[in-house]
Amino acid sequence: MLQYAIQRLLIAVPVLLGAMTIVFFAMRVLPGDPCIAMMGDEATKEALADCTRALGLNRPLHVQYGEYLWRSLRFDFGESFRQGYPVTQYILLMFPHTLVLVLASTVIAICVGLPAGILSALKRKSPLIDYSLRIFALLGLSMPVFWLGILLLLVFSLRWNVFPLIGGGDLERVVDMVKTGEAIGEPADFFASVADVVHHLVLPAFALGITLAATVSRLARSAMLEVIRQDYIRTARAKGVREGFVVYKHALRNMVIPLLTILGLFVAIALTGTVLTETVFTRPGLGKMLVDGIGARDYPLVQGAITVFTMTVILVNLVVDLLYAVFDPRIAYK
Amino acid sequence: MAIARGRAGEELGVEVGAGAEAREARQVARRRAYRAIPITIGLAMIVGMIVVAIAAPLIAPFSPSAQFSTAVLKGPGAVEGHWLGTDEYGRDLLTRILWGTRVSLQVGVLAVLVAFAIGVPLGIAAGYVGGGTDLAVMRFMDMLLAFPTLLLALLIVTALGGSLTNEILAIGIALTPNFARLARSLALSIKENDYIMAARALGSGQTRLMVRHIFPNAMYALVVVGTLYVATAIRTEAGLSFLGLGVPPPTASWGNILSEGRQYIKCCPWITTFPGLAIMLAVLAFNLMGDALRDLLDPRLRGD
Repeated sequence: MLQYAIQRLLIAVPVLLGAMTIVFFAMRVLPGDPCIAMMGDEATKEALADCTRALGLNRPLHVQYGEYLWRSLRFDFGESFRQGYPVTQYILLMFPHTLVLVLASTVIAICVGLPAGILSALKRKSPLIDYSLRIFALLGLSMPVFWLGILLLLVFSLRWNVFPLIGGGDLERVVDMVKTGEAIGEPADFFASVADVVHHLVLPAFALGITLAATVSRLARSAMLEVIRQDYIRTARAKGVREGFVVYKHALRNMVIPLLTILGLFVAIALTGTVLTETVFTRPGLGKMLVDGIGARDYPLVQGAITVFTMTVILVNLVVDLLYAVFDPRIAYK
Repeated sequence: MAIARGRAGEELGVEVGAGAEAREARQVARRRAYRAIPITIGLAMIVGMIVVAIAAPLIAPFSPSAQFSTAVLKGPGAVEGHWLGTDEYGRDLLTRILWGTRVSLQVGVLAVLVAFAIGVPLGIAAGYVGGGTDLAVMRFMDMLLAFPTLLLALLIVTALGGSLTNEILAIGIALTPNFARLARSLALSIKENDYIMAARALGSGQTRLMVRHIFPNAMYALVVVGTLYVATAIRTEAGLSFLGLGVPPPTASWGNILSEGRQYIKCCPWITTFPGLAIMLAVLAFNLMGDALRDLLDPRLRGD
């Protein structure tokens, strides 16, 4: 087990370094000059040279690359070209927003998608249930999250005015109150803040959650179909075990491994989804920060955001790999 | 008497009665008919899209850049001839959506071809040759795979600049690792076949084996998955355009029509509603087709 864990970790490290290298060089071949982007076309040559020097862009590429790698490993992504404050600070500020969005939409996706996928697989002989569930899943999968977002905004924010049109609520205050213990001291205030955050979260989480639920239900369906065809399921049925018992005791438990695979895929899809969701709902978060950074040609900001996204994907996949071995000891010995 | 025949070797249900077998035959026939529905709908939608894309100049009521100063931000049917309404420049929305089909279809199909052309040879070589080649190719693909598709495409398109060609390249490269992985696993299983050994015994070189024997045998599975990735490519294109990183305006693409319409969401929701619907239908068409083809390929995913 330990050997397997070390082996997985050793694979993850070069992948992470490689992915960071791709980010760095992709950013450096950007056609736009960040100094021109910041100062406009009328900037004098001297001013541009000053700017380039100040940002360290005049140094040899390998020096910049080395510095980027070294600093990134310490979670130091430099300073934003535009605003001048540390990117890490910005990321820390934005991360909670993205995290709550991912968590809330994951809960929705799992609560809707998992039962739908399992039911679809179990009732595969009934065209009415299986087909209608599969059609819903296909529709959800085909619907762009930003479009669903706009439709939700149209109905719930503009027409009925029940949910806010933009923003993410004062999440910082909630976090602060928890940190300082104010949450216990002034529960009314705290709950009001939490309610505000949730109020802002409902539509984005629903939009992202529903599109993700489609993916989950499709993956769960094929995972369940895989399991239900195993010999031990037939044996259980042949013994006369009741169908419900077969499903709970034999099938669902053996779905854990395929479901873990879903988790790995899921995080990548969810993170992509946050970029679009945060943009359409004008919500603060890492995805919005990334899109804004690209518009402003703010290298450190973009590098920081993409590096954090990529690190998360690699990390989650590493955890999934390790969990495989926990749930199915055979894997570690292969 | 149909007794415990174990349909498709699974359920051991015991059926009694003379009509059981006939009933079962009818059920199988019905299921087969049901299965033909999605593939027919998907195919019809795809053919429809191709026709619209090719014939856009002929069937679109106006020119996509024509501005009607008398019909700015008018709703569907509010002005004679503008069935889906107009945008902030008084351009006909239906025309622009019809022309947008060209962008989506081109990016969808060509990006998948790019991914196919790069990923499949690399994947087959990795799977067949193995050793260092396998390690080098797959580690590189793992690095690319660490990026979610949209993010990688976003990174590349930011680096290259927004244009139709760059968008195709960006999405193509972003999808490459998926094809390389599949091609590798197919090559690994195909190379164990006797006919490969026979071909080698007859003196076929590595390249010939890969091109003449492994590739054709992997082709069907690759095409099926390719169809599904066209859907992904179209969705990614729409996402990039929505973020303002796709085909630059005034060229009409579904994503950028929708993105421009966001400012007018309060007064004129039709500008965002219709292109979104078009994106959904296009993605749905390729998903339906790909799903149906995959079910044929992999009977385990079928209902029966």
